[in-house]
Amino acid sequence: MITFDKVTKKFPLGDIALNNVSFEIDDNEFVFLVGPSGAGKTSVIKLILKEIIPSSGSILIDDLDITDKKFTSTVNLRRNIGTVFQDFKVLADKNIFENISISLKVTNVRHYDIKNKVKEVLKLVGLENRENYFPAQLSAGELQRVAIARAIIGDRKIILADEPTGNLDPKTSWDIMKIFKKLEGKKTIVIATHNTDIVNSFQKRVIMLKQGKVTKDLRKGGYEL
Amino acid sequence: MREIISSIKRTPYQSLTAFFVLLLTLFLSLILFVSLSFINSGLSYLETRPQVTIYFQTKTPENDIFKVRDELNASGKVSSIKYISQKEAFNIYKDMNKDNPLLLEMVTSEILPPSLEVYAKKPSFLPEIAEFLNKQSGVDEVQYQKDVIDRLLTLTGILRKGSFIFFAYLILMSIVVLTTTFLFKIALKKDDIELLQLIGASKNYIRAPYIKEGLFLGNLAATISFVTLMGIILFINPFLSSYLSGITRLTFNISSLEIVVWPLNPIFFAIVYVISLFFGSGISYISSLIATNKYLKV
Repeated sequence: MITFDKVTKKFPLGDIALNNVSFEIDDNEFVFLVGPSGAGKTSVIKLILKEIIPSSGSILIDDLDITDKKFTSTVNLRRNIGTVFQDFKVLADKNIFENISISLKVTNVRHYDIKNKVKEVLKLVGLENRENYFPAQLSAGELQRVAIARAIIGDRKIILADEPTGNLDPKTSWDIMKIFKKLEGKKTIVIATHNTDIVNSFQKRVIMLKQGKVTKDLRKGGYEL
Repeated sequence: MREIISSIKRTPYQSLTAFFVLLLTLFLSLILFVSLSFINSGLSYLETRPQVTIYFQTKTPENDIFKVRDELNASGKVSSIKYISQKEAFNIYKDMNKDNPLLLEMVTSEILPPSLEVYAKKPSFLPEIAEFLNKQSGVDEVQYQKDVIDRLLTLTGILRKGSFIFFAYLILMSIVVLTTTFLFKIALKKDDIELLQLIGASKNYIRAPYIKEGLFLGNLAATISFVTLMGIILFINPFLSSYLSGITRLTFNISSLEIVVWPLNPIFFAIVYVISLFFGSGISYISSLIATNKYLKV
């Protein structure tokens, strides 16, 4: 479970990314974070990932307060979270197999298991036979699939996706979302997006943010700008 | 190994800089170490040579000489005394000039003085022993090498301190240059490091490739500097042999372990190689650790 309790994030220059935000996300729940640019969606993702720390309030993940000063297992926290970044963050000098397997290597999974798991996940994201390709040889949609594969491989319980379809054409966006759909009920999925069509068609929980505040939290909601 | 090679290929100039700095440092350090080993063992060798030689007048009775010898033995400051009679002196003379019959014809045992070769327990006892001997009747001349040893001790002391300062400077300079070089390399991989941190890589996991590359370069530089030094030593070996002719053995001690420096000894060179590997690895490990720490603040 992810719990945001009166979380405020102020940046040093005075910009307020989040203002007294509270919500709970259950285990294996599928949630869309929506809102216009600058609403605070990426800040929520970065806070869960402990990439940034809140100015006030607390964030609990499985009852562990990750904002507590005594919390030191950031590495273990991140090993439970798979993240899909808007800019893919795929390593240019590593092939697809290496890019995906890195997610398992950091958790000390054995080489033999890595090979099998990467093959499985490549099949899941529709990139079979692409394992020896380098990022420069792939399209944007394929790169996003690689990023998703890297996020979902292994036993990561939470998947965070920051605008996973932001740079993709509509057809590829739908293909990407189908991958997330396959994971529904197996992992906690939090997707930050402003793609109204996708959110409306999925009919999942929607947390709407505007100027750093939660303006709506709809259990089976749609989204209109 | 594949990762190390590809990392070197990706940033060849930075890797070459790191390698050459390490090579220079280790090579100079090894030259210093080997030179100091030879100088120290040479000094130890000199200290074991007859430290005081007393020449008696030719007509001094043997009993008087033995009396002096016994008194010296009783003083507790002498490790051993060797008496060389006129006949023995003549035999030594004959042996030294066996190729020159003319010199042999001109000399008889009667004109050569009997002598005592005194080995002091410590060089600091030498002046006292010499003073005692000068007061004895029948003594013609007292020779001792205190000045030479004192000068050598001072020289080695200066050399040792100078080498230490130079060595420390070399190490420090290498660490600074290597850290800067590694920082350049790591800066190019900043995004990779950021991603690794976000997917839960531990600090050690992120550091590992840079440390492995550093250790590889350190060990390679250590091996090449050692091989080069060995080549130079083998090249000058004939010169060393003639320069050190007459010296059968040079040694120095590491605590209770006696290491033979001369004649050239594989154990000594194995120690030199281990030292170069230790410093090569140490310098590159510390440098890569400092450089990676800059980018590992979670």
